[in-house]
Amino acid sequence: MKPTYQLISPTLGELVWNADPTDELLSIQFAYLTYIQTNFSTTLLEVRQGFTRLSLVWNNSSSQQEFIQLSGTLNLITEPLPEKIWQVPVCYSFEFGQDLESFARSKSLSPEEVIQLHIQPRYRIHFFGFLPGFFYLNGLSPKLHFPRKSIPSLAVPPGSVAIGGKQTGIYPQQSPGGWHIIGRSPIPFFDRKQDPPVWAKPGEQIQFIPINPTQLENWSDEDTKTFLQ
Amino acid sequence: MSLNLGKAQLLRCPLGTSLQDEGRVLGANYGIPRSGAMDLHAYHWANHLLQNSNDAVALEMVQPGLKIKFEEPCLVSLAGAVAVVSVNQSPISNPSIIAMGSDDILEIGKFHNGARLYLCIEGGFQVEKYLGSGSDFVSITTPSKRSTGDTLYYLSNQTKTVLQAKPKWTTDWFEPEVIRTYPGPDWELLSPTQQSQLLNQAFHISNLSNRMGIQLDELVVNELEDLPTNPVFPGTVQLTPSGKMIILMRDAGVTGGYPRILHLSEDGQSQLAQKKVGDPIRFQLMETITAG
Repeated sequence: MKPTYQLISPTLGELVWNADPTDELLSIQFAYLTYIQTNFSTTLLEVRQGFTRLSLVWNNSSSQQEFIQLSGTLNLITEPLPEKIWQVPVCYSFEFGQDLESFARSKSLSPEEVIQLHIQPRYRIHFFGFLPGFFYLNGLSPKLHFPRKSIPSLAVPPGSVAIGGKQTGIYPQQSPGGWHIIGRSPIPFFDRKQDPPVWAKPGEQIQFIPINPTQLENWSDEDTKTFLQ
Repeated sequence: MSLNLGKAQLLRCPLGTSLQDEGRVLGANYGIPRSGAMDLHAYHWANHLLQNSNDAVALEMVQPGLKIKFEEPCLVSLAGAVAVVSVNQSPISNPSIIAMGSDDILEIGKFHNGARLYLCIEGGFQVEKYLGSGSDFVSITTPSKRSTGDTLYYLSNQTKTVLQAKPKWTTDWFEPEVIRTYPGPDWELLSPTQQSQLLNQAFHISNLSNRMGIQLDELVVNELEDLPTNPVFPGTVQLTPSGKMIILMRDAGVTGGYPRILHLSEDGQSQLAQKKVGDPIRFQLMETITAG
């Protein structure tokens, strides 16, 4: 899966893969990331990852041209993705998942079936975006794919676990949002006082573990430590 | 030279006022927006006037009303929007650089022209930096915006070298309607009709505009599907399913799933930052030099 390079501005361009996001594509992206960060650290200002692109910000246009000359001839070796699986507690309920009932009805499923389909997969973390600490996850069951709300909610509470389009994710802070909220996680997903401010890395996986409303309400920092090991 | 901190009291601070520098590039890996001055051109100019470093922290204002008291003498500079400026209630005719004395009060009145005004101070406002930047952002800095009653800190024992010739700030560069832009990564997905509409029609700045993005009033008929979520940057123009265009600005999230149809030049981003609600703009496409 060789990427092409698309120039956007004299100092911005993208490695482009016209493929669906998969583990295989992610490991190729990582190979390019490592190669670029190792060999172009003096001329590259920033690299950003998406599902099917790596965007590169260069210090000037000739640095970008130098990379373009090289990038066509690259043949990089991929490494296996990390094996780490994080367990993320989620309380699925009508109280904390305000859209769970309407979402299930729209999909002709029972709320229990929605929960079972949501906790079953291991989700691969591809990158962070949208908000500080927001995971972009791959692996949502096609049975749960569902268009975003036409009118976004103004204030989605922090920790909300939601489904939008082909994706599921967790809102790390209060925010407007157009995804359907099916549950709530009590653990923090972004803390600027920690270094790094997020506890997981792209390439690792997460698994949702159901908890009940009493557990959610009595959640302590100790419980978080137990989970995030 | 010891570093004595002077205090500046925000006696009145209008909504939308924030501390900004060039922003943080190191946070994108954690989903942290770039942030930084919306009009980098004016911000850099005002820092240059004081011989500050390029990224000294400045106050960004989006509306009139600021009233700030400097407890220790200092030099400040202003650039961006052209506004009524007074010191101790006396109007200042050319407020490019102003020497403030002890307990002098600077006030910003009506904006005659432009939308964003930068107040720089010798050595920059002193704040804790996170990932290399002092730019305000929610969940990143405390506070995440500036309010009446807040105190700002600055270096109070700077060498005072008031420039003899006071440069005059001009606004000619941001007044034209035409904004130069590159084709976005998804430009080729647009139909010839959509492309021609984008390049031949005037669009107007919507009142749904802030540091995250500037929306345009006019719609572009859009039947494109959402795409896999991929990186976006300040200057990326997104086309939403409803046909609304959002020009992403400094506080925008680092990735997005809507087609990225245009990418504004850096000068174009600064120019856009000075446009007011209702102002017309036109996009002019620049050729991106082709690869290899």
